[in-house]
Amino acid sequence: MSEPAGAKVELAGVDKRFGRISALQELSLRVERGEAVAITGRSGSGKSTLLALIGGLEQPDRGEVLIDGRPLWSLPHPARARREVVGFVFQRHLLLPALSARANVEVALIGAGMRRAERRRRALELLEAVGLSDRAEHLPSELSGGESQRVAVARALVNEPRLLLADEPTGALDSLTSERVLDLLFRLREELGMTMLIVSYDPALGRRTDRTLTLADGRLLAASETAAVGP
Amino acid sequence: MLAIIATNLMRRPARTLFTASGIALGVATIVALLAFTQGLENTAAGFVHLGGSDLGVFQANVSDPTASELPISTVARLRAQPQVSSATPLLLLVEGIPHDASAIVFGAERNGFFARSLVLTEGTRPGGVAGEALIGERLAAERHVHAGGVIPVDGHSFRIAGVYHSGILFEDSGAVLALPVAQMLVGRPGEVTDVVVQLAPGSRASTAAPAIERALPGTQVITDPQQALRAGADSTLISKAVLVIVVIALIVGGISVTNTMAMSIMERQGELGLLSTVGWSPLRVASLVLGEGVAVSMLGAAMGLLVGVIGGGLLVHALGVNSYVSPSVTAWGLGQGLLIGVAIGVLGGIYPAWRVTRMRPLKALSTV
Repeated sequence: MSEPAGAKVELAGVDKRFGRISALQELSLRVERGEAVAITGRSGSGKSTLLALIGGLEQPDRGEVLIDGRPLWSLPHPARARREVVGFVFQRHLLLPALSARANVEVALIGAGMRRAERRRRALELLEAVGLSDRAEHLPSELSGGESQRVAVARALVNEPRLLLADEPTGALDSLTSERVLDLLFRLREELGMTMLIVSYDPALGRRTDRTLTLADGRLLAASETAAVGP
Repeated sequence: MLAIIATNLMRRPARTLFTASGIALGVATIVALLAFTQGLENTAAGFVHLGGSDLGVFQANVSDPTASELPISTVARLRAQPQVSSATPLLLLVEGIPHDASAIVFGAERNGFFARSLVLTEGTRPGGVAGEALIGERLAAERHVHAGGVIPVDGHSFRIAGVYHSGILFEDSGAVLALPVAQMLVGRPGEVTDVVVQLAPGSRASTAAPAIERALPGTQVITDPQQALRAGADSTLISKAVLVIVVIALIVGGISVTNTMAMSIMERQGELGLLSTVGWSPLRVASLVLGEGVAVSMLGAAMGLLVGVIGGGLLVHALGVNSYVSPSVTAWGLGQGLLIGVAIGVLGGIYPAWRVTRMRPLKALSTV
């Protein structure tokens, strides 16, 4: 597996509203290549919206979101750019229930111009990397919560993304399984050299990342303000 | 992609099956009616070329060729036409044989080319006795009768002089009486249904037909099966019914697929949103939805083709016309059924596929 350089992320004066609700206001930040950043904040503070904007799932109403100096949305093929640059892990694994673990990983490679045999080989390689090679042909209903989330991690990484966006990836797991999934994420990040933004309520996560950003009411708080904000 | 389409359809087998069944019903009806229409055309071909004739002369503007009434003098006038080699009159009795409503009884001249073209497989030709008949081999087999037996026609019993084979379904399913006897039975002395004509060498039906119609005003000359079908009100009605059913099948089937696919995408918003997050373009996600719509329709069409082929046979029995219409399933008929099935899937899948392209991945993921 090659080692892609991490992506650089820049947000400048970003506003995002959903109807009358302001999700993000005047938000600016910069994440360097290969950096791991934890994002915390209360429910509804705009954490998921921030990841969606960075990952090109939503467009900002105002301001700029740049990945390696380019806005994903303005590219001729934003979906392809997303596939080639970004990997997503969500709180829930969101595996397609009718497909095996291997096929769920392969789904992310469809449209990548890869032959079926190559897709299969890559998917099995990633499942091995997350320690699930013996569960490759199992359906999601036959996997535990932790195993399913590891399949989701494999799916996120199968395209060798330069930016990993994880939205509460352990939110639905018990503490022991959470630790294992986080260990896996951080180990793979280290191996692949990706930039990582990880949303979590867990204050202990800050010890694993390079820095922690805290959001409140759609704004980034200064470091001095973060101590007062809990989940 | 195909594997994902197949597995998605298998997740809700009952819903897939019910939707496919609705489409199958429409396709089956179309295939059965097309087979029936093709059968009618084959029958019409036999009707036009009765006894090996080149064309048939009927009364003009009748709702059905069997309702035609021509004076017997028409025969002599036809024989006088330079394009005509020979002409022989026929009188058709419909529903003349009890318990076999679809069997046709032909009143024919004993020495006309129609009667002479019948190949006897049993017995002899009638020897001038009024109470004798020839019957077709299919009718003989159905009624389990042979030469020397008796066949009732219009309340009278006739001795079966012989059994014949002609190779034409409704001739072989009917019987032949002497023309004067048939005229007496229906109370139409001096009248016939049509006159079948063999053309002189070198004459062509396309040029002879208008010349005959000009020479014998009030007649229409039928030279090809399509023309015979158009002359019949029933077949025209069937052709129009096929068109109406195609339109209804497209609308109802399309709505059914739309409904199924719309329900499916509502249930799977999270999954479809996820496909966007892993880099599927809106067009690719829409193709998945459209592909599922087409796949369920193809399943329905396949079921419909099978049921339609069986249904075509049942239809002629239900209508009591199995003696003179044999449903004929053609490759084009099956192809039309399949095309309609695909069209239903495409029409029905367009709206849900479009909806998917408008879906915002973040909102879709929040529904999970």
